Amino acid sequence: MTNSGNLQLTANGELRHFLTPEGLDRLMLERILDTADSFVVIGNQEVKKVPLLRGRTVVNLFFENSTRTRSTFELAAKRLSADVLTLDIKTSATSKGESLLDTLQNLRAMHSDMFVVRHSDSGAAHFIASQVTPDVAIINAGDGRHAHPTQAMLDMLTIRRHKGNFESLSVAIVGDILHSRVARDQVHALKILGCSDIRLVGPNTLMPQAITSMGVTTHNNMDSGIDGVDVVIMLRLQTERMDSAFLPSAGEYFRLYGLTTERLAQAKPDAIVMHPGPINRGIEIESAVADGPQSMILHQVGYGIALRMAVMSMAMSGQMQQRHAKAVNPLSLKREPQP
Amino acid sequence: MSILIRGARLIDPSKQLDKVTDLYIKDHYIEAIGDLTRVNADTEIDADGMILSPSFIDLHTCLRDLNQIQKGTIASETQAAASAGFTHLCPSPDTQPCSDAGSVINMVKNKAAAAGFCDLLPVAALTKDLKGAQLSNMESLSSAGCIGFSNASYDISNNTVLLRCYEYAATFGLKVFVQAQDQQLGSGQMHAGPTATRMGLDGIPVIAETLAISRHLQFMQHTGVSGHFNQLTSAAGVALIREAKAQGMKVTADVGIAHLCFTDTAVQGYHSQYHVQPPLREESDRKALLVGIVDGTLDAICSAHQPHESAAKCAPFAATASGMATYDMLVPLIQKLVDAEDLTWALAIQALSSNSATIALRKTTSLTLGEEANLTLIDPNHHWTLNASSQLSHGTNQALAHQQLKARVSLTIKAGQISYKV
Repeated sequence: MTNSGNLQLTANGELRHFLTPEGLDRLMLERILDTADSFVVIGNQEVKKVPLLRGRTVVNLFFENSTRTRSTFELAAKRLSADVLTLDIKTSATSKGESLLDTLQNLRAMHSDMFVVRHSDSGAAHFIASQVTPDVAIINAGDGRHAHPTQAMLDMLTIRRHKGNFESLSVAIVGDILHSRVARDQVHALKILGCSDIRLVGPNTLMPQAITSMGVTTHNNMDSGIDGVDVVIMLRLQTERMDSAFLPSAGEYFRLYGLTTERLAQAKPDAIVMHPGPINRGIEIESAVADGPQSMILHQVGYGIALRMAVMSMAMSGQMQQRHAKAVNPLSLKREPQP
Repeated sequence: MSILIRGARLIDPSKQLDKVTDLYIKDHYIEAIGDLTRVNADTEIDADGMILSPSFIDLHTCLRDLNQIQKGTIASETQAAASAGFTHLCPSPDTQPCSDAGSVINMVKNKAAAAGFCDLLPVAALTKDLKGAQLSNMESLSSAGCIGFSNASYDISNNTVLLRCYEYAATFGLKVFVQAQDQQLGSGQMHAGPTATRMGLDGIPVIAETLAISRHLQFMQHTGVSGHFNQLTSAAGVALIREAKAQGMKVTADVGIAHLCFTDTAVQGYHSQYHVQPPLREESDRKALLVGIVDGTLDAICSAHQPHESAAKCAPFAATASGMATYDMLVPLIQKLVDAEDLTWALAIQALSSNSATIALRKTTSLTLGEEANLTLIDPNHHWTLNASSQLSHGTNQALAHQQLKARVSLTIKAGQISYKV
């Protein structure tokens, strides 16, 4: 259990940073999903904007490349009527810590209200929220291998909208669990939302140490791993994994763990197939499955905007309450201690 | 110049001594032990309720200075060491520049001598610039006062070079110190276990340690070199040393104070103060390390002190420097272990003093008449707070900063002179 549970909440238990689902309770995750549900509708309207973040400044800080996540965050902020600044910041290996601190303090001095942060180091968003700019709402858009909470929650939204609940579901997460920040958060979110059969499928080289301590089962065999499941979540396989001896070849990986139509038949007939994208056709998933009737991949993208709008509006509201509480009591304006 | 310490509990495991009495020091030497009610001295100390032991000897520390004065200076760190009860320190060779030349060794020793808090018994580099390619001038460095040779945390991956290192050390009867962690398997940031998995940090598996221990044991056995392993972390590592000792090998080992007291769960919440190398492991490992001290498999406790400036720890976890400044909290941590009945003061003193002296000085220090007076007086009931005004190390990487601590060194005496007084 990390401290992020407390760090993410105001004194009144409202969300003020969103770093990981770990440490949040079921009620909070359901509130996020409910709020996101209401935003899904907005996407279908002619005028897609709501004024919830009018006058607020949201800065997208991407220390690591991303096209899809960055654009959906940008779109989400704009639909909430925020002023949006997107910065692509390449970190230099030598002065990573320093430049991060300096960059953030400069942006904070410009009265930014929210940072959406993607960084290659696990714990980067946590570090910023706890030590650098606690009075700016931090949304974690992916930190190292640790967390990618908005992706995990949009996956939960997808599952809930198509399956209704979590308790009775069997969910298989297939592929590169080791390097996946999404998989960790999916496991946390699924557990919190009541799912009891979570299966991780992959070879031992891509399975993190002691992962079963998170309340999951592990399967080296794809057929038994997805046998009878309601949801199959495929993870993206980075091609560089072949160069660093995690896997022998893309061909062998696809033969053992690729999702094909025949293999999908092992799952329940109404099972849904998800993928955080971008997909590698022919490496982790066959085109016929990716584009097939059971695939939720494009739905996920649409839900992503709604989910991010939900989290951004909730965290901004929590952060504003916190700031207001501090303004009433000037003594509490000091820099907050480390958790 | 005379010092009289009245009413202390004298503990010296090497002499099976544990009794409350007085000790008198005159002209650098222990002159009298016993009831000295009628004796007077230039300095008299009422040590009621305190523990008096032979002074501590640190088998592994980093004192910085040279090109790293932002982290600490030899003056500041040796003073912090004296405040932890140490009189002799074995600094690791990974200084900047590296301790592979007599000139560096002399500079470091001179700075320590000028400061006057501790004597240095440096461990020099086993290979030039610690690069694992060329042998250092071992014999010359030994003549300059180095007590052993180590490649610090850097692997010598070429087995031929490593064999030559051991063969050359064997030629002159030199001791080899080993920080046992395979560099490739040790490239992560914390112990490979459930906590690393949850936090998404790269794990360092226990096999990184056991592989390195086994490999070096083979070389030691083959060449007959007497070896010392620094900073063991795992139950499996302790088992390997126990087995080697049972086979009669000339092997000794120590454990860092942090590994005796903390586990990998301390890192939760990305607490960079607990980012150390080798990493903190699980509770079962910590217990096995304590058993190792109790049954003598592990000879010594070292500080593994590594001071850092605040910026070095202020970044996302993986980007922070590893290491903990331990001098200011060492004695309170021992007291914590004693209070938890994991250790006794007699065992702790044996590990910090008698045994480490045998390894570093090749002789024991003891509370014996006529011995040079190198002593540590501990007040186990002193309550204090570790903060910027009470700490002596320049390192800001204090894991227990702002905490209430119990026990403190009251007095350290080096060669009959007071080197630290609270």
